[in-house]
Amino acid sequence: MSFRNLLAIGLVCGALTMAGRGASPSYFPDDPIQVDDDSALDAGQAVSISGSNAYDFAEHTFLKPGDTSDIRAVNVNTIDEVPDSTWFTNRIGRRDLSIEELVRGPNTGPTPSFSDWPVVEGKSSGITPGYRIVDPTGRLYQLKFDPPANPEMASGAEVIGAAIYHALGYNVVQGWAVDVDPARITIAPAATIVDMRGRKRQMTREDIDHILERGARLPNGKYRATLSRFADGKPLGYFKYYGTRPDDPNDIHPHEHRRELRGNRVFAAWLNHDDSRGLNSLDMLEGEPGRQSIRHYMFDFGSIMGSGSTVPQVPRAGNEYILEWTPALKTLATFGLYVRPWILVNYWEGAKSVGRFEGDFFDPIAWRPEYPNPAFDNMRADDAFWAARLVSRFSNDAIRAIVGKAQYGEPGAADHITTTLIKRRDKVLRSWLTAINPLVDARLDASGVLTFENVAVASGVATPKAAYTFTWSAFDNTAGSTAGRREETRATEPRTTAPSAILEGARFVRVAVRTAHPDHPTWDAPVTFTFRRTDNGWQAVGIDRMLAASVIR
Amino acid sequence: MRQGLRTLWLAATLAMFASVADAQDAETRADVLRREREEKSKSLAPPAPNRMERALLDLESGRLFERILNPAEGIYPRIGNITTGSGFSFGPGYRHAGLFGERAAFSTFAAASFSKYWMLDARLQFPELASRRVSAEVHAQRYDFPEEDFFAIGPESSRDMFATYGITNTVVGVSGAYRPMSNLTFTGGIDRLSPDVNASEPGEILSVFDPALVPGVFVQPRFFTYEGGVDFNSRQPRGNPRSGGRYGIVFQRFADIEDHRYSFNRVEVDLQQYVPLLRDRRVLALHGLVSVSDADAGAEVPFYLQRTLGGPDDLRGFRRFRFRDRNLLLLQAEYRWEIFTAVDGALFYDAGKVASRSEDLSLRDLETDYGIGFRFGTMNGIFLRIEGAFGSREGKHFVMRFGHVF
Repeated sequence: MSFRNLLAIGLVCGALTMAGRGASPSYFPDDPIQVDDDSALDAGQAVSISGSNAYDFAEHTFLKPGDTSDIRAVNVNTIDEVPDSTWFTNRIGRRDLSIEELVRGPNTGPTPSFSDWPVVEGKSSGITPGYRIVDPTGRLYQLKFDPPANPEMASGAEVIGAAIYHALGYNVVQGWAVDVDPARITIAPAATIVDMRGRKRQMTREDIDHILERGARLPNGKYRATLSRFADGKPLGYFKYYGTRPDDPNDIHPHEHRRELRGNRVFAAWLNHDDSRGLNSLDMLEGEPGRQSIRHYMFDFGSIMGSGSTVPQVPRAGNEYILEWTPALKTLATFGLYVRPWILVNYWEGAKSVGRFEGDFFDPIAWRPEYPNPAFDNMRADDAFWAARLVSRFSNDAIRAIVGKAQYGEPGAADHITTTLIKRRDKVLRSWLTAINPLVDARLDASGVLTFENVAVASGVATPKAAYTFTWSAFDNTAGSTAGRREETRATEPRTTAPSAILEGARFVRVAVRTAHPDHPTWDAPVTFTFRRTDNGWQAVGIDRMLAASVIR
Repeated sequence: MRQGLRTLWLAATLAMFASVADAQDAETRADVLRREREEKSKSLAPPAPNRMERALLDLESGRLFERILNPAEGIYPRIGNITTGSGFSFGPGYRHAGLFGERAAFSTFAAASFSKYWMLDARLQFPELASRRVSAEVHAQRYDFPEEDFFAIGPESSRDMFATYGITNTVVGVSGAYRPMSNLTFTGGIDRLSPDVNASEPGEILSVFDPALVPGVFVQPRFFTYEGGVDFNSRQPRGNPRSGGRYGIVFQRFADIEDHRYSFNRVEVDLQQYVPLLRDRRVLALHGLVSVSDADAGAEVPFYLQRTLGGPDDLRGFRRFRFRDRNLLLLQAEYRWEIFTAVDGALFYDAGKVASRSEDLSLRDLETDYGIGFRFGTMNGIFLRIEGAFGSREGKHFVMRFGHVF
């Protein structure tokens, strides 16, 4: 660790110590907060922003924006979880979701009967052919067509990605994989399109035919597409993976230190969402004037898994940044005799709708997006652990059901994507669920019995050979430190009884749990659970994970 | 330094939030967070992209380059080379699209270079007829290339025997293409040429070479050219191929419409093949071109219509137009390797020869060169290549060109 990093940690710790030393207690009465009310203040003055692809690439590749301090995520609550906010709503992490809920994802209803809705304009951005239609109430939808050589590829990726990201907790727009009947397409009289010459003009049937020519035609004569419903509110552009919006009073946590943005690296790796950058996000201004707030969406999943939107995903995707000096210079210096390992990967070619998607070569730790992402780069082992826990909540059946939403018609396609997602999920869990002491869900009942779960063992990615050492103490919430004597107990099961002498008279108690496991020496770094006495027993109010130096990032 | 400033900022921010919380004796976590937000609300400002970001955004969203340099309609500056060796040229251009019910587009430009090359060009194009299977064009062009290189005719020419000539020409014609399927195109066209050669100034052909060895140097007739061809193109992707091939054959008839003294036929076979290696990250690119010209009985092929070898697109280790004759053979091989997404390296080998008789187009006595280059662009096209050509008997040559070599 460099002197600079030590200085950084020192300063930050100093600041936090100052925070704890004053009148503020370590745990407020409302801790752990379940909701961060980040729509409290009116954000009506926020303005729309646009992003440049070229600048975004150059900035993140060469300038490395954002704060890189090695600190705990700043928006987690005292039990190391992400409270609900305009960024994130705990779903699968808070409760079991039924298969129906998972498959439904962000959609509030069945596939709309859109066939007779008129086309009102051409699609104005992006490389995928498409157009916009409007329902009888005036709500806008967008249709994006799959590439001709890869029917069902991008639309399948889109609905699978949206369902998974929604279940994880992110805001995503509603979308469906649909078949468009060209005979039923109607064009509104005022429909417009910006043609290849840059002119906005009236849209004609020939324009529709031209769009369909670049779309995937199915054997039944229909065209496979993604139907997306525009989100509520006024679009304000995108959010960056660093800093805060200067025009949003509610946006106080630097994005590169937000847990759900750091942890998105894990989800992106799992799904090979290499296009997970700020420009593929969406900020929407919601609410009535005077009480408006910004909701933050994840956007555009057409380029995940094996799909590259208009072509199968390139082999580099997920394996290397667009510009990465070391392999580039090696390749240059050896006239190409140095072969990047990912070049040699064999992809299953049994279905065009799959694109290039595999799980054997996949290495979650080495996985990379298209170019550096400040929040991803700041991801620590505790962020990754939080994210991996969410991934662990997707059962094989759940994954299979979500993949079914894509309605793949080619034999073997759904099976390949399902098995690959399961394989990649298991690698994600083995990489990040085992990196730190994986104890969760601690409960101290009124009789003093402590129970918890070793989530790595429970998920089957570690053997149940663990032994636990517990160091008990009372905790002074005002002083922010342990008080009185300490007592140590041991157990080989995730269950023990607290020493009555520690519990007696204490308002807060703390237990630091070290885990001894022959395969995971880093589990010796303790997890500290803090409990507050309540009328009904003990409430868990704090989780602090000490990270071994070797696993912080 | 930057890291340190960030750290200080973060520490100061945290300390500030802490002191705010302390000072106001917050009772809940929600109070603390709300006060932080209230504090921020006192200093809101609209997002302010920096100058570079604004400029790039304007370029992308406003398509500034496209609107200025290559607009769909209206006047624009026409910038670029007129022909090989003309040097940088520029001039006004104009486009008018949407003619004949959106079926046709008219375009014209005038451009000149510092080397006194100039060109006037106008064309009316029908790019999408018959459900986009047919395209047609009417065009007219007038140009003056005052300083073209000439090294005598035939494979034995010497680099030291060097002259120039000027040529003006007026071309008026029609052309069309029929594409029955996406990979297959039939082409055809008729042009009227009115060349006029100037070779009598000091340093020009007539002051250096025996005119008897330079057919067409004194008299330049008018020509009609008739052309028909077929092209099969399975390259993928087309602009920067990694696989597939392109196979074309063109027949041309140059008809001297005055006394048939310079009438001739020409057949050209142009073959390209791309062999993908290592999942397309390496490519073996092969190119072969054979051009055979057959003059009518008693006629000759004028020197200014003969095919040439040498220069940045064929024999890169030789000066442009270094060899010329009735017939030509060119073989090129390149090993291209992807260095990273936007840059490819290339090792190349060129071989070729010219000959007065087609039966002399053998693989013996080929002129050769080799070299290394870098190509900048995307998967779909190369916009710049920089190459060093070595190994020819005439020294090293540096090449910087827009676009691919083949």
